[in-house]
Amino acid sequence: MYPKEIEKYLLKVQKPGRYVGGELGEVIKDKHDVDVRFAFCFPDTYEIGMSHLGIKILYSLFNEKPYIWCERVFAPWIDMEAEMRAHDIPLYALESGDPLTEFDFIGFTLQYELSFTNILNMLSLGGIPVLSKDRHDLNHIVVAGGPCACNPEPITDFIDIFFLGDGEDVDLEVIELYRACKREGKSREEFLRMAAQISGVYVPSLYDVSYRDDGTIAAVTPRDGAPAKIEKRVILDMDSCYYPENFVLPNIEIVHDRAVMEIFRGCIRGCRFCQAGFLYRPVREKSIDRINEECHALCRNTGYDEVSLSSLSSSDYTQVVPLLRKLNSWAKPEKVSLSLPSLRVDGFSDDILNEVKTVRKSGLTFAPEAGSQRLRDAINKNVYEDELINTCRVAFEGGYTSVKLYFMIGLPTETLDDVAAIAGLAKKILDTYYSIENRPKGKSPRVTLSASSFVPKPFTPFQWEPQDSMDILREKQKHIKDSITSKKISLSKVTYNYHDTDTSFLEAVFARGDRKLNKAMLLAHERGMRFDSWSDCFSLQNWLDVFEECGIDPAFYANRRRDFDEILPWDHLDYGVTKEFLKRECERAYASQPSPNCRENCMNCGMKKYGGGVCYEKR
Amino acid sequence: MKNARIFFTKDGACKYISHLDTNRVMLRAIGKSRLDIWHTEGFHQHAYITFALPLSLGFASTCESMDFRLLDDNADMTAIPDRLNACLPAGIRVLRCADAKYKPADIDSASYEVRIEPMTDKDISIEELYNRLNTFLAQPEIPVEKKTKKGKKTVDLKAYLLDFSTDFDKTVNMKLRLPAGPVLNINPSLLVGAFETYCGTELYSDMTRTGVFTKEGRHFE
Repeated sequence: MYPKEIEKYLLKVQKPGRYVGGELGEVIKDKHDVDVRFAFCFPDTYEIGMSHLGIKILYSLFNEKPYIWCERVFAPWIDMEAEMRAHDIPLYALESGDPLTEFDFIGFTLQYELSFTNILNMLSLGGIPVLSKDRHDLNHIVVAGGPCACNPEPITDFIDIFFLGDGEDVDLEVIELYRACKREGKSREEFLRMAAQISGVYVPSLYDVSYRDDGTIAAVTPRDGAPAKIEKRVILDMDSCYYPENFVLPNIEIVHDRAVMEIFRGCIRGCRFCQAGFLYRPVREKSIDRINEECHALCRNTGYDEVSLSSLSSSDYTQVVPLLRKLNSWAKPEKVSLSLPSLRVDGFSDDILNEVKTVRKSGLTFAPEAGSQRLRDAINKNVYEDELINTCRVAFEGGYTSVKLYFMIGLPTETLDDVAAIAGLAKKILDTYYSIENRPKGKSPRVTLSASSFVPKPFTPFQWEPQDSMDILREKQKHIKDSITSKKISLSKVTYNYHDTDTSFLEAVFARGDRKLNKAMLLAHERGMRFDSWSDCFSLQNWLDVFEECGIDPAFYANRRRDFDEILPWDHLDYGVTKEFLKRECERAYASQPSPNCRENCMNCGMKKYGGGVCYEKR
Repeated sequence: MKNARIFFTKDGACKYISHLDTNRVMLRAIGKSRLDIWHTEGFHQHAYITFALPLSLGFASTCESMDFRLLDDNADMTAIPDRLNACLPAGIRVLRCADAKYKPADIDSASYEVRIEPMTDKDISIEELYNRLNTFLAQPEIPVEKKTKKGKKTVDLKAYLLDFSTDFDKTVNMKLRLPAGPVLNINPSLLVGAFETYCGTELYSDMTRTGVFTKEGRHFE
């Protein structure tokens, strides 16, 4: 229940429903009945946080334990933050209305780099000292997990514990340890030292980082018995992995307002720009029976009439059509529609289309990522032009008239010819439309191109690559525009937004940043910067001022080519993929040579050591 | 197939659910309850529900209603409130389900209870606020600007105040009835807004819709 005193301010802010809780499915416990209170914080607005699957899984998992009460906290939008600061209302959890200071754990999920400043802002709004060193007792343990935990170095001054890899097991182990330490009257330091011994746990304060004169890392040295390498956690058997049978059902509209069913983790493809494709290896599938059972229960329990089958590349589920048919045996009569996001160009088949909801006969979206076959080979996208043309032909023959294509610019090895090829590909698709005799009559075709700026990420074969400068990226955007020859081809707004290059630059700084960036993060927070992923709040100039004041050159992180033998800020974290493998893949990219996917041929990425998943599938 | 009307309350956290979102919450509750009701037949089929009189964001209510069609002519209406309540957030409670007696177009007025207080104790005392409210309401005319689809126009709220009474305890309380329905709808926040301007100090008001009435002055059932 929200604190009564906020009622006076709720009608002065947009969407007050964000701040009151009271949804069906929220878990209310008596705080006297639990040993551990966990504030699960999503560093963005309610509508975004409530759409995130990870929070749904962990919220239910934690609350199944009678001794834990897990509650939800979201970042208040700037209007609400102003009211809270003006009237001394601390950031509170939606279930109890209690401020963050009442919690044992304050956990953040790190989904995107540009949400980092929101973490600091939420801590300070909640009355928690933002710096780890200013928190002393055995409470207010600030933890974080999620994809950006793979290089958490820019925020090591603020977070006590990072969880690497799948959270379901390791989170509970750390909570258990905390409970024991609390019982035995141990200190915060003792607890952190013991936590560091749990696999998948990274306690940054137990590592010293030294630098060379050129600013690169000389050594990362563990202290107090902390492991030299911290290995990510992997849950191999997805059928025995916890999955919630109900969700908290939001009272206001959220971004993804539907049931979500995870069908597998990981991706077999190994597109060289894609961090998720490496972080979540190896591919581990849930069985059809398990998905069917859980999915039916979830739809019945939530009342949703739409379910999204979630994964990194849905059509790569080994038995996707039998799965869809089985689900539809109850979904159709119960008026529940299935949706399959993340469809690949080569995974688009009549069989699949017949089973899933096709929203309107207008928009189809594909992500070829690069315009020329040469560059698609270099980034290992493994999508061929004739496949794309064929898929579009099938779609046009089926009544579709518009296609949206996603590309990236600034990819390693890219030339202006590759950029021009983006417009060329669009032209070929348009020509395909006009070559069809039974094309939809009376409607004009439309091809929309979206080109976002590439950000090199850790644990990918491009982790050593420089990002194109903002000037070059803008020049490439202009080059696409100049190469377009038909009025029926257009560029999406995102592409023509100068903002995109600005935010991509900042993202590139943080993605491969080191501990020196903590200082900038703190100064940015002190200057009131937050919601960097929102154009309402983002200002590159403000960030450049912060970097200058801290004596930090952002180009050192974003635009510098690293040597293969440089010690990278995240080298002491082990996500299974070996550096040797990433190096081999990078060299293959330079040679414009694609690699087979995990099911075609093993490239020895290092995942076999976990002893399960796609590496051991029978073929 | 037969028409059914449910009556429900909306309070607590659910005050902050907008009309559109209330529609969404109800659709999901019907899906979860597995009530057998008529669905639209377009491309995106969904349960068909209608609301007689939308409620503003921030208002509580003891008298909301929603209509739908039960596919089974012999369905037991008395079981419906419990089935829906199990599928709704705690701030929405279905009180009863019955045949629809009046049409939404028959709605003519609605009654409200408004609790008014200053933003802080320092601004003005409750008693003083109470006295000012009475003087404010005793004016021969209360002109306010009302936004309509055709632009702004000035209306005299006094003429629309069908009946009202005031008292005070921890807050200043006002009970009033105003025109409501498809033809003319006067939101009580217009009156509170005018009172705020009159007082020259920011006020907080907690509004509850307590009744919906037909032209004949009967409860909308």
